[in-house]
Amino acid sequence: MNSIIGIAVKDIKTFFREKGTVFWTIAFPVMMLLLFTAIFGREIPFNANLGIVNEDTKTPVTQAVISGLNATGFLTLKNFTQRTEAFKELNTTNVRAVLIIPENFTENLMNYGQVNVSLIIDGTSPDVFRLIDNGVRTFFSEFSKQFKNYTEPVTVKTESAAVAQVIGYKENITPGMLTYPLLFSSMVVSTGAIVYEREKGTLKKIRASPIRPINMLFGKTLAALVQTAISILVMALLAAFLLDPKLNWNVPLLIPIFFLGSMNGIALGLIISCIGRAPQEASNAATTIAVVLQFFTGMYFPIEYLPTYMQQIGRVIPMTYAAQALRDIMIRNATLADLALPILTLTISALILYGIGVILYKRWVEK
Amino acid sequence: MIIEVEDLVKHYGEVKAVDGVSFAVEEGEIFGLLGPNGAGKTTLMEILCCLRTFDSGRVTIRGFDLVKDSLKVRASIGFCPQETLLYDLLSVKENFAFSASLYSLSSKKFKERVEFSSKVLGVGEFLNRKVQQLSGGMKRRANLAASVIHDPPIVILDEPTVGFDPNIKREFWEMIKNFKNYGKTVLLSTHDMYEADEICDRVAIMDKGKIVALDKPYILKKTIGGDAAIHIRVKNSQTKKTLTVLKEYKTTVIDNEIRVSANNPWEIMAEVSNKLVSQGILTEKIEIVEPTLEDVFIKLAGRKLAEES
Repeated sequence: MNSIIGIAVKDIKTFFREKGTVFWTIAFPVMMLLLFTAIFGREIPFNANLGIVNEDTKTPVTQAVISGLNATGFLTLKNFTQRTEAFKELNTTNVRAVLIIPENFTENLMNYGQVNVSLIIDGTSPDVFRLIDNGVRTFFSEFSKQFKNYTEPVTVKTESAAVAQVIGYKENITPGMLTYPLLFSSMVVSTGAIVYEREKGTLKKIRASPIRPINMLFGKTLAALVQTAISILVMALLAAFLLDPKLNWNVPLLIPIFFLGSMNGIALGLIISCIGRAPQEASNAATTIAVVLQFFTGMYFPIEYLPTYMQQIGRVIPMTYAAQALRDIMIRNATLADLALPILTLTISALILYGIGVILYKRWVEK
Repeated sequence: MIIEVEDLVKHYGEVKAVDGVSFAVEEGEIFGLLGPNGAGKTTLMEILCCLRTFDSGRVTIRGFDLVKDSLKVRASIGFCPQETLLYDLLSVKENFAFSASLYSLSSKKFKERVEFSSKVLGVGEFLNRKVQQLSGGMKRRANLAASVIHDPPIVILDEPTVGFDPNIKREFWEMIKNFKNYGKTVLLSTHDMYEADEICDRVAIMDKGKIVALDKPYILKKTIGGDAAIHIRVKNSQTKKTLTVLKEYKTTVIDNEIRVSANNPWEIMAEVSNKLVSQGILTEKIEIVEPTLEDVFIKLAGRKLAEES
């Protein structure tokens, strides 16, 4: 066999026998393609929850409005009887906007051809604000065409629900960027810390010493926390100096979210490092998982861009709560009481994931 | 006895890596496990260092049960495996500090031990250099020093000189013998018969997971290895003629060498040599060779140490 062909044949055979390389070269790009297609390749690439407060005793006209909004496909409607209930949900971002249909809506529309509806939109995400505002206005514009005697009988009065004005892109992206180290740095660092010891064989030295496995894990966790904290600090300083976003840097509230978010990432990394058969495989898995998860957490773009089923996946990922909590603190000036749910969620998930990690590590050590 | 192993068994699936091994090591002795690759030495050592579980049997180290008092056992041992387990980006001293932290060494004791390592183990000259900047020999010395930085009463060395050139090997042998002078008990594994013969007080010969012989090297050689013999090497074309000339003696041919056995080979050496010269046979080599541990192994296992178990 020609030596050039011989080398090529050997390399191709080796390539297909190294599962990790095959994954990175073929399966991973395919996976990313499918993911992007699922997210951005849809006809209506957006879906947000809209709260409806119908104060016009459910007349056929308001029912038609609600049915029409439902049929747009980009809004999932949630009905409220009281404005206060709807605003509460808006504040926790369970709905991204609230549409108030006033009590004299049908009467004014039918008799005078002039009526106002109020649309209060979460202003913390410029994209969400623009899409909902444009979408609802377009809907009412189309809806009004059936009332041919009047021109533009329905006026949509829009206002932002957050800090009196719509937040800029840099204010929106900064908390998202600060979620990145929680997901990526913490997970990759903690996976790497154990994988490195496995690869170098130095784990043998540690295991032969009288240190308990749990103490070894605590040491690794502490180091990963410090490394993640440095990463967060660098990113926060860069964001503050380069972008100068108008944000609430409430450090005492940010620290617990950063800590809990990091612990979730570290625990995930620990699990991956114990499951991976080979060190390189575990390392690649951590990077892949971090790259994929970032699309589900609302770090870079609103979670509403995801198809509904992907939004559901996003809601079981701890980092989604960390990203939202950071936005709540930095944009909405959330208080400790407002953060009870994300803190509780992050604490429980960190405990569960870390517990699983410890069990897997002990099992792996005792093998 | 500082180490006691009773009827130890370890399987890897269907393969019995350690098969009912029993032995005891006295305090202050250098005890060797000699055997070919795959004999079960490393598995046995890793079990003693609590790195592997075992299926049955009992091990006590300094009176502590290996399973129940695992932390006390590990604190008593300094384990130096074949591979260099140092962090390349840290200096030798930083590596020592990390190892010391695993054993909760006080800073005073750490300072003393670093001084000891510098003087006795010869790491002083490269103490502050990063491991990645060291030569192979320096790394291995630093590795050995790091594994005993906590001053353990027992030192377990897995193939400590494998891959070394003869000079460095001798240097290491001296260091290992020196451990004994500091009251340490040394358990080492090796497939180098000279190493076992040179530095071990007692040797257990392992084959296929079992201990096939255990005693002081000279006793093993005397009782199992057989007597000394005259080894003669001649040109291949003269082998037949040589055997004819020496027909009155007990001769065998092994590895192209003619071996003349006798109760006292020194007595007949001159006579044999003269007979060969008088018949015009030119010898490439003629010497009296005493039995080695290799001979002991060959007698017990029917093959050489270099062959896999």
